Amino acid sequence: MTTGISGRRQWPLPKQAVPGAPLLAVEDLSVRFRMPGGPSVKAVDGVSFGLDDGEALGIAGESGCGKTTTALSLVQLLPGNGRISAGSVKLFGIDLVPKTERQLARYRWREISIVFQGAMNALNPVRRIGEQIAEPIEVRLGQAREASRKRAGELLELVGIPRQRATAYPHELSGGMRQRAMIAMALACDPAIVIGDEPTTALDVMVQAQILKLLEQLRRDLGLSLILITHDLSVIAETCDRTMVMYAGRVAEEGPVRRVFTAPRHPYTAKLLSSFPNIRADRRTLGIIPGQPPDLRTPPPGCRFAPRCSEAMPQCTTEVPPEVRFADGVRVACHLFPPGTPGSLPGTPGRAAGAPRALAGGVS
Amino acid sequence: MSPISDDLLRVEGLQVHFPIRGSVLDALLRRSRGVVRAVDGIDLSIRKGEILALVGESGSGKTTTGRVVVKLTRQTKGRVLFEGQDVSALWGTRPLRAYRRKVQLIFQDPYETLNPKHTIGEFVAEPLEVHGIGRSRAERRDRVHAALEAAGLRPAADYAARYPHELSGGQRQRVVIAGALVMDPEVIVADEPVSMLDVSIRTELLRLMLDLRRERGLTYLFITHDLSLAWVLADRIAVMYLGRIMEIGPAETVIRAPRNPYTQALVSVSPSPDPPEPGVSSTRVILSGETPDAAHVPSGCRFHPRCPVAFDRCRVEEPPLFDVGGGQQAACWLAEPGAPTAEAATRRPAASTALLG
Amino acid sequence: MSLPGVAGATAGASAGAGTLRRAGGGAARFLARGDGLVGFAILLVFVVIAALPDLFVGPLEDVTTATGQPLAPPDFANLFGTDELGRSMLNLTVHAARISMTIGLMATVITIVVGAVVGIVSGFVGGAVDAILMRISDFFLVLPTVVLALILAPVMLDVIGADAELFGIRSTLLVIVVVIGLTSWATTARVIRSQVLSLKERMFVDRARVIGAGPGHIMWRHILPNVVNLIVAQAVLTFAGAVFTETTLAFIGLGDPSAPSWGQILNAAQAAGAPGLGAWWYIAPPAVCVVLVVLSFTLVGNALDDVLNPKSGGRR
Repeated sequence: MTTGISGRRQWPLPKQAVPGAPLLAVEDLSVRFRMPGGPSVKAVDGVSFGLDDGEALGIAGESGCGKTTTALSLVQLLPGNGRISAGSVKLFGIDLVPKTERQLARYRWREISIVFQGAMNALNPVRRIGEQIAEPIEVRLGQAREASRKRAGELLELVGIPRQRATAYPHELSGGMRQRAMIAMALACDPAIVIGDEPTTALDVMVQAQILKLLEQLRRDLGLSLILITHDLSVIAETCDRTMVMYAGRVAEEGPVRRVFTAPRHPYTAKLLSSFPNIRADRRTLGIIPGQPPDLRTPPPGCRFAPRCSEAMPQCTTEVPPEVRFADGVRVACHLFPPGTPGSLPGTPGRAAGAPRALAGGVS
Repeated sequence: MSPISDDLLRVEGLQVHFPIRGSVLDALLRRSRGVVRAVDGIDLSIRKGEILALVGESGSGKTTTGRVVVKLTRQTKGRVLFEGQDVSALWGTRPLRAYRRKVQLIFQDPYETLNPKHTIGEFVAEPLEVHGIGRSRAERRDRVHAALEAAGLRPAADYAARYPHELSGGQRQRVVIAGALVMDPEVIVADEPVSMLDVSIRTELLRLMLDLRRERGLTYLFITHDLSLAWVLADRIAVMYLGRIMEIGPAETVIRAPRNPYTQALVSVSPSPDPPEPGVSSTRVILSGETPDAAHVPSGCRFHPRCPVAFDRCRVEEPPLFDVGGGQQAACWLAEPGAPTAEAATRRPAASTALLG
Repeated sequence: MSLPGVAGATAGASAGAGTLRRAGGGAARFLARGDGLVGFAILLVFVVIAALPDLFVGPLEDVTTATGQPLAPPDFANLFGTDELGRSMLNLTVHAARISMTIGLMATVITIVVGAVVGIVSGFVGGAVDAILMRISDFFLVLPTVVLALILAPVMLDVIGADAELFGIRSTLLVIVVVIGLTSWATTARVIRSQVLSLKERMFVDRARVIGAGPGHIMWRHILPNVVNLIVAQAVLTFAGAVFTETTLAFIGLGDPSAPSWGQILNAAQAAGAPGLGAWWYIAPPAVCVVLVVLSFTLVGNALDDVLNPKSGGRR
């Protein structure tokens, strides 16, 4: 699979790349935020996952579950009061966590780029979109101005914007077009991974469908490796191979989308799915999750979903459930599925159970 | 179909056109450089206790329609009738007093609706104060607490003393609902009331809205861009596009058997967490382009430039709403009684799935 | 308890704010803030001194009652030294507090009340009212303070008489108050109007309309509390400006020599050549007083802003 990476790439891999290493392996990642006059908050707590070349992973969860923080900490684009307190982020086998800001610059945008939610805020309003797309090519890849302009034009065509529109300013484009321009910008340096942070959330349904279709096309044509962060399960159902459902800073369930969405194991995943208004299902059968996500300054001991869980058992409120992996590629952290449950793989029980390489086998 | 006396709220021939004024001089001379046809001739009727969903993408005029109903925006033409009485000519604080007590609005953004400097109790009590309801402090307080509890905020006294920033998004939207309930209104216009909230919080609020209808006989005009939400909540659905109603009827038939190609496309792309079956090609109809701006409404049927099944007549003549049975109406020439190509509308030509024009 | 005192001192700052209904909890939060408390204490000292100068330093000295040598540096007899007439600087500075503080406060009240009312009404009502009010404010915005004072002073003195008194201050000083008020309300009005324009589009204003509230209610309940922080900031600036303007006007002879203000002392020092003679004690006391009062006003203003803003002060 690593030959796939180097085969497709126009640019050489970073020198320190470990041959044969998976594209991305995140292990036991924890992120803390310092709070003014209080204890620090662990927004992400022991999260592990992996991403293979050409794969799309959807990180799902509600606001405050740590999904955006997880993704942004891959290239350490955290707010000033946040820092990675534990774990590793290995891209091509290179751990990015101990890197300095200067060393990270080599990886930001060039290897891992981001499509943000509000394209209007992410684009500079007083510069033409063609220039903005060309900029990273010029600055990061050291291409000549002419060549980078030419590539910007190609990128625009690639995302479905006529090349001539390169001279347009962001405000002259419609919402959908701006989002396409953002995607072109993210693709500018032919990155190893593109992170989409709620890339379709602010858009109309029809435009959303157009953008999702574009992402699908790009994945097919370019073999894009994608991490999609969204609260919208339908977006993940539509575009991703695997999904990781997060709750209150931890992984609740992870696995192939079809497995997780059609036969959810974690009660939270099940509730989340049943509370999603589905036009193809019966009316007024929405599930309800009582209460609210916990305050991360004082997270409940044990399973963090326990206070809202209809299946909660006594041990849920005291013991953190271990992550258990199943033969079908799903891993789940819930006391309903203790280690040794039929179908589960014998593995290292405990919190940091996510071994990406083993997981990759479950993806069809 | 339904006798007029049944309709609690009626909108007749509503038009809202905003003049485009380029310069200061234009403003002074009251001349305009064309108009934005935000709402361009629509009729609606809501029976008592009914939930009518007004669904459309941005620029469809759904929010403007809601604002006219709650008298925040002036109509250019047309009437709004409440309990059979024309309220479209009423403006100003005093003439609208009675109407304001009966028709309330819930906004999309609970963060914005709540004044950050007022406590929850003050917010909920404000309508009582404005209308001079309740003789004593204690009586007002009881009404406020009752409204907070009805909105699911218990213990009410606890919430009344807090400030908006101390509450979660879902709680804030409950406060906004309590602020509407305290007046004992008949109609609630809800403009995207849950779109800012997380899925798990959303369903609780939708459930609350349904409960309130059952307990108090509330009537809702539910404005949303999300057809799935309309599906789970509404009795009837009206689909708007560029200031016109494209299709209206019972939720079941509008979603399950849409007759207008625009509705069909919207239904096909509506979010669903069901992963696509492997090997089965997507049945989604993805329209090209985006809604044109309301200052340049296309000729004929305003949907024809994006319509996958448009034909010559659509380019020149705007279709009225045709009755297609079962209380359903569709504004499409293919829905005209006896239209020979009627079943063509349900076919999905391959061309329509092209990404861009 | 103490908060109403501060509110009175900062005049328009909080007098109009509906938020004072929560004065009890607000006062506690205000007192919990060290900087606000310090500012408040300093202001309180000045207010007491200004109110009862005779109690602290005896009646105002003049040439006939002067006790010291001319331009004597500080010693035990005269802790702050003396001026060129041999008057005690301590005595002068304390008495000057009364004039300076009164002029500053009165000018601030006029400026803030007029500015806030015009700004809120203009911004909220809009249309022709806005256009007319803003043209008027344009006129006052470009009016030079000194020129206006030169024109107004003789007229006003003629009308009300040079020796007339209003609220215990002489008409010459009233001219200064009126001039400062006239020339500075427009800035306040502009600043507040622009804030109101954006507030007007906020959803809570729409909501207030939907529940049937009239424009008066909306302005009082929803607009005003949201511009209080601006008003406080403007009040602090205006007060500081007023003290300085009074200095300038005193310099060109529009002050009242028989009622010394800090500005007047500074100008007398200038005239007596105190800087050249190295008589720092002639300049330091009034200057330090001006700085202290302006600083404490800023401290109180900041603290009030936080107290009146539930988001920053309301963590429980």
